Amino acid sequence: MKITRFYNATLVDPSQSINGIGYIDIVDGQILALKLGLPNPNDRLDLKIDCKGSVLAPGIVDMRVQSADPGAEHLESLSILLAAAAKGGITALACLPNTQPVIDEASVIDSLCLRASRIGGPILHVYGAATKNLQGKEMAELGLMAEAGAIGFTNGVTSISNSLTMRRLLAYTQMLDRPFIQHCEDHKLTENGEMNESETATRLGLIGIPSEAEVIILERDLNLLRQVGARYHVAHISTRSGIDAVRRAKLEGLAITADTAPPYFLLNELAVSTYNTACKLSPPLRCEDDRLAVVEGLADGTIDAIASDHMPVDRDAKTQPFGPAQLGASGLDTLLALTLTLVHQGHISLIRAIELLSLAPSTILDIDGGTLTIGASANFIVFRPDSGWIIKGANFVSHSRITPFESFPVQGIVDFTYVNGAQVYPTETLF
Amino acid sequence: MDKLDITTDGGKSGNRPAQLSSRHILGIEGMSPIEIRALLDRGSFFADTPTKITNTALQGKTIVNLFYESSTRTRTSFELAAKHLGGSVLNIAVAGSSVKKGETLIDTATTLNAMHPDILVVRHNCSGAAQLLSQHVDASLINAGDGRHEHPTQALLDALTIRRRVGNIAGLSVAICGDIANSRVARSNIHLLTTLGAKVHLVCPPTLLPVGIENMGVNVFTNMEDGIADADIIMMLRLQTERAAGTETPSQREYFNLFGLNKHKLMRAAPNALIMHPGPMNRGVEIDSETADDVEKSLIRIQVEMGVAARMACLEAVSSRIG
Repeated sequence: MKITRFYNATLVDPSQSINGIGYIDIVDGQILALKLGLPNPNDRLDLKIDCKGSVLAPGIVDMRVQSADPGAEHLESLSILLAAAAKGGITALACLPNTQPVIDEASVIDSLCLRASRIGGPILHVYGAATKNLQGKEMAELGLMAEAGAIGFTNGVTSISNSLTMRRLLAYTQMLDRPFIQHCEDHKLTENGEMNESETATRLGLIGIPSEAEVIILERDLNLLRQVGARYHVAHISTRSGIDAVRRAKLEGLAITADTAPPYFLLNELAVSTYNTACKLSPPLRCEDDRLAVVEGLADGTIDAIASDHMPVDRDAKTQPFGPAQLGASGLDTLLALTLTLVHQGHISLIRAIELLSLAPSTILDIDGGTLTIGASANFIVFRPDSGWIIKGANFVSHSRITPFESFPVQGIVDFTYVNGAQVYPTETLF
Repeated sequence: MDKLDITTDGGKSGNRPAQLSSRHILGIEGMSPIEIRALLDRGSFFADTPTKITNTALQGKTIVNLFYESSTRTRTSFELAAKHLGGSVLNIAVAGSSVKKGETLIDTATTLNAMHPDILVVRHNCSGAAQLLSQHVDASLINAGDGRHEHPTQALLDALTIRRRVGNIAGLSVAICGDIANSRVARSNIHLLTTLGAKVHLVCPPTLLPVGIENMGVNVFTNMEDGIADADIIMMLRLQTERAAGTETPSQREYFNLFGLNKHKLMRAAPNALIMHPGPMNRGVEIDSETADDVEKSLIRIQVEMGVAARMACLEAVSSRIG
């Protein structure tokens, strides 16, 4: 029964609308006390940690992460993934099913979650594949995977193109009370596409990806949702028309939520104009008007959450001409600092940033975290929101050092990450 | 005086190598009118000079032709141009090379770099490949066509052809017709012609029109007869035959009907309108044989001839910045 106190911190907890100097006590992996103001110096404690100048907030729940393990462990093993998450202030993460083998049956979920829990550190959650081998054709065993702990279902980095399959999937996830996470893209419309369709693409001689590809699938799904009813979540939303559709659907009362990722609120397609393959992402970086719409959506609540969209990529796969270069980039190491950019630029408050990173994703996925309520698991971070640094992929904990934000100046450094009351960052060794 | 020479078409600047701000020629976009004119003036000088007495700008220098796509005229004209200037030429055809064995573009570049070539002439099927390579080699690099992006020496030889036949490019009305979306020739020509003050019309089916191209200083037409009305120059582009098989356009027959150049459509152009084509032609798809072979109107053979002169100017310009 060791009691540890973190005091002198700016406590930021959107779940209780708390934003002020105070302290928390933790014991046995749980939050024992939370109070604003100065603690009584005579309280008997085992350990006291002064957090002067730092923010103490619920840990980040990263709802969109790709793991190279199992299948491509050489890119990034599970333990490296978890270590990078811990350094990034992430206390829980949700892994997409596009591993090798695909997470499309209960036994794969068991084995991955078991391995992660042996490693320790941030808590790994897993999405189940919506269709067998992610082929978009036959439904996978959603019910059995839900029993094994799948927190939601998705077809990973692809949309379900077949409308009938999609309707059945929504009906099934509705029965199982799990969210369906959709990467909205009309794959026929984006066939062979290399970057956002625009004058820039035309000048560069790259094949365009029309931004309408997002809203076409999204609007179809909204029509199905009205029929079937289900919890529907739009992953990495990136276009104004898509965000407008989500806003209207929320007003209508549909059970829809959305997330986005830092590239979509900080960068636009011009980042590609030197054929920078680190900026080759899916969805592609869009035009400036779309970027502004993402910022607005984050500020007005249309977009609920921010995820890292972390994807381990080999450097060789990016040292290519733009066309054949692989999609994706690393995101765990930079998620917090890049999100805080929105705070420093005055678009959102700090408490809203924590809501986007922590409370909202844990609510959407119905998983532990996102709060400092007394009795809750002690999953929290202590960070200095104003400390500046320059993003250098070479310094990432993640094995994947590809970032569209190379040399980007940011603010926000994590001092401590705690999961169930245990310090997982910094630690003397990687897990 | 000096300034006047290099900013006037056909000035005396042809007597000396063109001066470029970069050691590479990756594209026309971003080149100044002064640089373009200097290359054209020099190209014109080479076209007028018997090849046996041309200079020795590339003596002792190695030029590597690295072609990832097959090419007849571009590769041979680079080779001839280099030899006329006294350079040693090494041709690397990708078929039969280590590239076929899976070597990456960068590894090939590193290997070649170790052999210390002075100039690398590269053609690749990916947009941006030339720029990527230029970051990994010490040699000067000339883009001989990268994907859909640019083909700068083609635009230069086209401009040289026009200048020698018609005179000043400024003020001319040029129609570029065909598969704009997939054409690097179109992009380089648009940049060059608009930079030098020509009026450019694009004519193409809406399915082959890239988004935002109207922001590049051109007017877009989907009706060929309107697009080529009063044109001084008509540049036809090659349509890859697989694109006329029901995907981008319904059929070759229909394409020729709507967008192919024939005597009838040509009547809408200016009376002395001239016809160009970067080759290789698809007779009966984008152009009929009667028009293509019209010695009065067709510049197609002169284009090939000017290819050597224009590339001599380019090779010399980048070599004058080596070492």
